Amino acid sequence: MKQFGKILKFELKYYLKNKVFVGVTVFLVLLIAAVMFFPRITAMFEEDNTVDVGDIGNVEIGDEQNQDDLPVMLIKAEEAELAEMVRETFAAAFNGYNVQITDSAIDDVKSTITAGEAECAFVLTSPIEYIYYVNNLSMYDSNAAMADEMLRHLYQTNALVQSGLTAEEAGDIMNIFVSGSVESLGKDQMENFFYTYIMIFALYMVILLYGQMVATNVATEKSSRAMEVLITSAKPTSMMFGKVIASCLAGLIQLVAVFGSALVFYNLNKSYWGGNMIIDSIFNIPTELFVYMLVFFILGFLIYAFMFGAVGSTASKLEDINTSVMPITLLFIIAFIVVMTSMSSGNVDNTLMKVASFIPFTSPMAMFTRICMSTVPLYEILISIAILIGSTVGIGVISAKIYRVGVLLYGTTPKLGAILKAVWKA
Amino acid sequence: MILELKNIEKSFGEKKVLTGVSFKAEGGKAFGLLGRNGAGKTTSIRILMDVFPANSGEVLIDGQPIDYNKIGIGYLPEERGLYPKKIIIDQLTYFAELKGMSRKAAIQSIDYWLDRLGMTEYRNKRLDTLSKGNQQKIQLITALAHDPDIVILDEPFSGLDPVNAMLLKDVVKEQIAKGKIVLFSSHQMSYIEEFCDSIAILKNGVVALHGDLHDIKRDYPRDRLVVRTENPDAILSDFGTACTVMEDGALRIQLASADEKKAVMTRLVENYDIDEVKVFEPSLNDIFVEYAGDGAKEV
Repeated sequence: MKQFGKILKFELKYYLKNKVFVGVTVFLVLLIAAVMFFPRITAMFEEDNTVDVGDIGNVEIGDEQNQDDLPVMLIKAEEAELAEMVRETFAAAFNGYNVQITDSAIDDVKSTITAGEAECAFVLTSPIEYIYYVNNLSMYDSNAAMADEMLRHLYQTNALVQSGLTAEEAGDIMNIFVSGSVESLGKDQMENFFYTYIMIFALYMVILLYGQMVATNVATEKSSRAMEVLITSAKPTSMMFGKVIASCLAGLIQLVAVFGSALVFYNLNKSYWGGNMIIDSIFNIPTELFVYMLVFFILGFLIYAFMFGAVGSTASKLEDINTSVMPITLLFIIAFIVVMTSMSSGNVDNTLMKVASFIPFTSPMAMFTRICMSTVPLYEILISIAILIGSTVGIGVISAKIYRVGVLLYGTTPKLGAILKAVWKA
Repeated sequence: MILELKNIEKSFGEKKVLTGVSFKAEGGKAFGLLGRNGAGKTTSIRILMDVFPANSGEVLIDGQPIDYNKIGIGYLPEERGLYPKKIIIDQLTYFAELKGMSRKAAIQSIDYWLDRLGMTEYRNKRLDTLSKGNQQKIQLITALAHDPDIVILDEPFSGLDPVNAMLLKDVVKEQIAKGKIVLFSSHQMSYIEEFCDSIAILKNGVVALHGDLHDIKRDYPRDRLVVRTENPDAILSDFGTACTVMEDGALRIQLASADEKKAVMTRLVENYDIDEVKVFEPSLNDIFVEYAGDGAKEV
């Protein structure tokens, strides 16, 4: 235990004195500062050119100049009446476009678009049929969907008018609004999405970076032969746990520095952020979730760091590290992708996620995501944490054994089977 | 204090590395553990240091199983190396602390050793700024700083210049004089011969020879003579195949038995122009080749 403390101190000092570590932390803090001060700085510039900011409404409607700057949307229909009606409706709906009627032939319309003079065109063959021409169809292009809505609305209003209602009555019927409010009894995915996302991403980055560092650290000791003295001075278990926990602490220190400074800078600039929902939701993480985050973060970090350490001990040369850690990295990336996909699909309680939230290698990310974005019974959380703690300790002990066998093997990297056999016998 | 390894057996997987290895080393004396590469020296040392356990057998101190919390061991590994990028005093303190010293005592002892080995000027430098020989001296401090009861030195002289070798010899003699068990492992037979009172030769994981070096030499049949002369031709032709020329130019005469010794000596002195004649005593080198070489006797 005394040895463990000394190793922990020595290893932690290694991180805190490491120029790269300090440099990266300072860089991240500066980056966060830049982001957090951004609204204040832009506000300062805006104050400099305070020209008619109050009359935004006038600018949109009255300024012809402004209309001409907008991208052109062409409307073409056989009947002039239909064309004009559609133009009016579209002009009101698509306020980012300069909506114009065209009489040109279809080929000319197409060439106008490919030449970039107009951005898109709706060619109507009937009041409810059209072809939408656009040069490059963007992933986020919703013009066609909006046009569908508009044309349906137009058609229905016309139909109502024709069946004897006045235009106003028809308009009222068509424009009826349903009012309602949502009260989520479980979790609000939208609100929790961002810190779940940040935690998953932070975990991903920190595990890959620090895991690699632990592996390199062990392999360096081995290749520099410092191991020959170390292994005769300290128990491998103390060595392994000392190293891994030191790296975990270093990781936490770095995160506290980054997120702590983010919190401080945010509070300094709170008024300038003006209730930005994303930022607010990040800093208003409920205590309960924060505790879960810490638990899963630390355990997830440790379980992977142990594996990285064990792998590092089997490499004879630093160059071997990259290939040796690949299986672990892959395992971790798969876990990451599963969680990320489920998160963005909104269904975090699918079977895959449920299974993943009990497997120790995936549960830190999977279970935390489910806790944040869905309602998970307490016993499931506790079981998941219990499995994770058990596996972390187990993997820690096995890693220490692999370490003891691994560090004394030089030459070609032994096969996993051979190592496990040696560990079993030792 | 007597350190004893008793019937140590060790296998790695299917491969048997040590078979019934036993030897004894006494405090206040140096012990030489010899053997060719792969004979099992390092494995024996690692078992002795509890890096891994033996499959069977015991490590005893004065007849009792060794208590690693009480008996301090200092080790200079054959594969040298510490942290190249770290400050010397920092890493030396770390290693001494791992061996159970308090920080204060560790620094005090390290400063003594830095001074003793003439390395004080490098105290706050990084290890990789030092020459190989100086790095070796730093490594020696890791083996001695915590004042261990057993000092294990694996190839301690390799890479040292004659001046540093002298310094190390003095240090080793000092350790022996303090009553410590000093265990040498080396291929440089001259050093072993100079320091060690007793030896063990390992061959393929078996102790091929073990005992007091002086006794071992005395035990050789005294049936060979070394003759130095200016005119070897006459002797060579008279003794025929029994007489061979040794590397240093002297002649070696194999006798039919040790009983002939006196008669042959008299005959040589009376009949030939002789500078020197004596009974041939094997050097440690000869003994080593005989017991550990490819054509070695089976034991």
